[in-house]
Amino acid sequence: MKKVIGILVVALISVTISCKENKEQENMDGTKHNEEMQMESHEGHDHSNGEETSQREITQNNTKNGETAAILDAYFEIKNGLVADSKEKTASGGNNLLVAISKFDMSKLSEEAHKEYMEIEESAKEHAEHIVKSDIDHQREHFEGLSTDITDLVALLGTDKVVYQDFCPMANNNKGALWLSEVKEIKNPYYGSKMLKCGSIKKQIN
Amino acid sequence: MKSFKISLLVLLIVFVGIQFIPTKRNQSENVPKTDFIIVNNAPKNIKNTFQTSCYDCHSNNTSYPWYNKVQPVAWLLENHIEEGKAELNFSEWDNYSDRRKKSKLKSIISQIEDNEMPLSSYTIIHKNANLSNQQKSEIIDWISKLDMK
Repeated sequence: MKKVIGILVVALISVTISCKENKEQENMDGTKHNEEMQMESHEGHDHSNGEETSQREITQNNTKNGETAAILDAYFEIKNGLVADSKEKTASGGNNLLVAISKFDMSKLSEEAHKEYMEIEESAKEHAEHIVKSDIDHQREHFEGLSTDITDLVALLGTDKVVYQDFCPMANNNKGALWLSEVKEIKNPYYGSKMLKCGSIKKQIN
Repeated sequence: MKSFKISLLVLLIVFVGIQFIPTKRNQSENVPKTDFIIVNNAPKNIKNTFQTSCYDCHSNNTSYPWYNKVQPVAWLLENHIEEGKAELNFSEWDNYSDRRKKSKLKSIISQIEDNEMPLSSYTIIHKNANLSNQQKSEIIDWISKLDMK
């Protein structure tokens, strides 16, 4: 009996040790992962169909809709966080965007607008969730997709704010990327302090 | 010394005990019509790469390793697969909106380019899931050409 227990104990210890090693391995990988991600420059990070992005336009939607204000404010907070190269401010904007989206009243939308809104919302939420939990390079990557969503949202529902649609030809692997801004002055969220002035205004809404 | 033996025995009982707790197995017999490979009519090399390197965590069909039979490893894997599928599930590709598809394709490309996927904690055991440079460029080229309305 003693012998059997002895054997079991040895077996148990060896399994426990190997499990622990696996875990440590995973942790090590996780850390390495983060470091790699932080070291990465923005080059080669984004990849998309640039022509489509650069052609995306807000067909003049003259609806002075105040309902979209909270979503836009949160988006601008994310944008300004990236302009300031601050992962934390950007993440907090992401949280506020999730709140704004959850409070948005869809009941006033027409059936068709509702369907499109749902798709935009689903995608924007996903980007916001990543923005909340990622490092800044990854935040910028998702900001690009988010900008497309918010642009489409403004085109769909309108806004009562003055919004500038800006464009940086270098972002997104030199394919160009859009963003929306509440201020006229160009402050580039894709590069932050590295190239703050890169970009131009494509359109002004309101 | 006696208390040491007792605690070992308790550990042993717990370890044996948790082996009896069932885990969800992520496996399905048939490939759904909404599957990424089917919907996009992927050529054979692309299909193989996706199935070997991505589908274990990003589809409804995992090919399990032997150590999945042992707890708590099975729990770790279960969690992992759940997270992977929540992020992107190739089995349900065609249920995604066009907007989401586009966004996912973009993320797939950038994750592969940046060597973030497949996860290194996965490829350390699944050596054959590692993507060669050729496989990477094949996938990226193919995805870039996919016609997304």
